[in-house]
Amino acid sequence: MSILYLDQEIFFMATNYKFKRLNAGRDYIADNYQAPLSLSDIAKYSNMSPYHFLRVFKDIYGETPNEFLIRLRVEQAKKMLITENFSVSEICEKVGYTSLGSFSSLFLKQVGVAPTLYRRRLWALSTEAYRFPSQAIPACYAYHFLGKLAN
Amino acid sequence: MITSIAHSTIYVLDQDEALDFYKNKLGFEVGDDMKVEGGFRWLTVYPKSKSQLQLVLAEPKEGPMFTKDSAEKIRSLIEEGAFGAGVFETENCQKTYEELVAKGVEFIQPPTNQLYGVEAMGIDNSGNWFSLVQRKK
Repeated sequence: MSILYLDQEIFFMATNYKFKRLNAGRDYIADNYQAPLSLSDIAKYSNMSPYHFLRVFKDIYGETPNEFLIRLRVEQAKKMLITENFSVSEICEKVGYTSLGSFSSLFLKQVGVAPTLYRRRLWALSTEAYRFPSQAIPACYAYHFLGKLAN
Repeated sequence: MITSIAHSTIYVLDQDEALDFYKNKLGFEVGDDMKVEGGFRWLTVYPKSKSQLQLVLAEPKEGPMFTKDSAEKIRSLIEEGAFGAGVFETENCQKTYEELVAKGVEFIQPPTNQLYGVEAMGIDNSGNWFSLVQRKK
């Protein structure tokens, strides 16, 4: 084995190890995005300092850990808005936000429309009938036209 | 304290035809248009300006609210013109009146001076009357 080859081998092993550590941090975010997460908590899973973790993460994945976290939360919120019978504030909580205001403005920034409007627009486009009237129409209308009370 | 009115209902004979009238003749925007489980279509319209109020275009149908008999009664009363859609405001009653007449909107009273401004009175394609008012400043 030439010296050069050995060098490369050591380099790859080191890189591989770095990736594994980085992935552990990324997996931790993916598994726990519903919980409040801090950068230092996540960095611990990668055995890196928060600053170093942030820099390496951004270099490798092209987005910061926080951007990745936001993306997961917003994607999950979008799914729930379409398929689940949860109010916007319930969805806000379920994807790890404590403030409805910051969740709504974040959603608006990422998606381009507010959560309620997103839900309405998607449902308006759907050929399927809206299953959760209380999420879309005022209760008095649901009551009078469908005989359903808000849940 | 109640701060504004969000929704108000206009009963129409046919939601498709009413939507065509409010959208294409009166120039309203569509707020919501979605089917709801149970056979109800949630349809709202509002003027292009910054109106807080959305008008719900609903058909009187047999259901929790109406018996078959009362739904039919409501329908015939709409056709008779017993109900009103309300007052729509405009900056220029004469101009808007002419635009709407050109689009085929039926009026039962041309722009007329009133104490509160200039008012014309039209009917929608179901038979609901509406006032077109330019308020006195």
